[in-house]
Amino acid sequence: MNTTTSPYVVETDGLTKRFGDRTAVSDVDLHVPRGVAFGYLGPNGAGKTTLIRMLLGLTHASAGSMKLLGLPVPERRAEALARVGAIVEEPRFHGHLTGSENLRVVAAARGPEAHARIGASLDRVGLTARAGDRVSTYSLGMKQRLGIARCLLADPELLVLDEPMNGLDPAGIEELRVLIRSLVAEGRTVVLSSHLLSEVERTCDAVAIVDQGRVVVQGSLDELRSDGAPTLLVASADDTRARSLLGAHVSVDSVTVADGALSVRLHHGTETVAREAAADINRRLVEAGIPVYRLEPQQVSLEQRFLEITSRLEEAA
Amino acid sequence: MTALSVAAAPPQPDRRPFLPLVTADLLKLRKRRGLVATVTAMTIGAAVVTYAVLAILHAANPAHHGPAGGVANLMHGVGVLSLLGCVAATIVGASAGADDLNAGVFRELVVTGRSRLALFASRLPGGLAFLLPFVAAGYAIAAVASVGLAGSLASPTTTLLVEGGLWLIGEVALFYVVALGLASLLGSRTQTVGILLAFRLALAPILASIAALGVFREVFPTAALGRLAPAAIADDVRQGTHAPMSLAATVAVLILWTAIPLVVGAWRTAARDA
Repeated sequence: MNTTTSPYVVETDGLTKRFGDRTAVSDVDLHVPRGVAFGYLGPNGAGKTTLIRMLLGLTHASAGSMKLLGLPVPERRAEALARVGAIVEEPRFHGHLTGSENLRVVAAARGPEAHARIGASLDRVGLTARAGDRVSTYSLGMKQRLGIARCLLADPELLVLDEPMNGLDPAGIEELRVLIRSLVAEGRTVVLSSHLLSEVERTCDAVAIVDQGRVVVQGSLDELRSDGAPTLLVASADDTRARSLLGAHVSVDSVTVADGALSVRLHHGTETVAREAAADINRRLVEAGIPVYRLEPQQVSLEQRFLEITSRLEEAA
Repeated sequence: MTALSVAAAPPQPDRRPFLPLVTADLLKLRKRRGLVATVTAMTIGAAVVTYAVLAILHAANPAHHGPAGGVANLMHGVGVLSLLGCVAATIVGASAGADDLNAGVFRELVVTGRSRLALFASRLPGGLAFLLPFVAAGYAIAAVASVGLAGSLASPTTTLLVEGGLWLIGEVALFYVVALGLASLLGSRTQTVGILLAFRLALAPILASIAALGVFREVFPTAALGRLAPAAIADDVRQGTHAPMSLAATVAVLILWTAIPLVVGAWRTAARDA
């Protein structure tokens, strides 16, 4: 199934796009591993779509180089894109054609094998019954599914989906999530750009966080979470005294009140250091005569990590 | 095969067939009901109405109105088809050139990896395959009527019928090419139709009738097309004062009016952000 044995389906090196004086994508080095759901995460206007458009040859890069499926683009663009399916921004169709006819139009560009996959692709996304209806009568969710069916015509090694959850209702989002995971289970790679942190966290295996055109951090979700500052949830008999005491602790970065308990953020350090700090915090509280009801490490969510990274950037700016 | 060896190998030529692209462009046009109705009305409908009116007038007052057929009425029929056929060609060319862009589908085609030049090139035969059968049908009606309803008038010869048909198809195809190129350049169907109709129906005839412009009038395609029209029908299809042209100048003008829109349209299709 694979075009090459490159471990990465997307590799960029110093990729940059400028529009006049404005730099939309700045010196991006991105490495998307094969066979995962990869989230390309960032706020609106961070340059996510511009990077995707460069990768797909929809617009030229101002500087840098890139590879798709191990092939340099734009030099080998046609060969690379033959095994790539993509939805950029929202899927667009000829509204006066039926769903099936719209797929025929794209299959004509892809080749005879793609034409033979039309039925199976429509079936895969559950649109067989509506394939003969004009696309102008489709809901947004149906258009998203038809867009994915269009991607599947390529029997893609890589699918690039730009904000695919936009405008979908919860049931539609769940359907799409299941579909993406099933595609990954088949060995395909799905690159998903989104500003919806929770959806990326629930769908993806690895992420890159992008802000103001730069990739700030990338890696697996576990790596990203473990890279954040460790946080403890502390519930005690006297939160006021406990907060005052912990605020002065050498290992503590900050203390906030969350859900009737204290959220204690520690300074960055290894897991062992964090564990020792937790034991010391417990001992100090008990020695101060404050009964501790609960003390547990908090799982850092992608949202917390994202906010932590982006706020750090804002401070630096 | 390793990633390194694949990346180092020379690019493979694109062996995907071209004909399905043409078929897809034809599909996009023939499924537009409004477009089909408009083109039908401007070609087949125009021919039917023209000869029906002539036949009714002749039947109502034979002393005042001659038979509906004959060479003279073929000339009128071709004149009508020439004018409306070019309007239809403009609308179809503008649709073929701009509909993918206007619908946002162009980028979906680009991400297939297919050459942008191939995507542009397929619009030429695709659009002509849609347009020319209507024009041919309209002309066939005119030809049959001009022979069948000739009555006491001289019937057009086979040579004249063939020459007239080829000339009409050539003219309509030229305006299709111009509209296709301009629409691919502008990315707008509406602007293309507006500009070309203003040129074809107003600007070109006015400029062609200004004798002071001299040989400058020869750069317009209407003048060159008029030069090539069969003598028997030329008076009705020439617009404004006839600007005498050499055959070489005529051919050169027509080649330029064909080549420039195609080159410009192909360049813009290849270069534009999708």
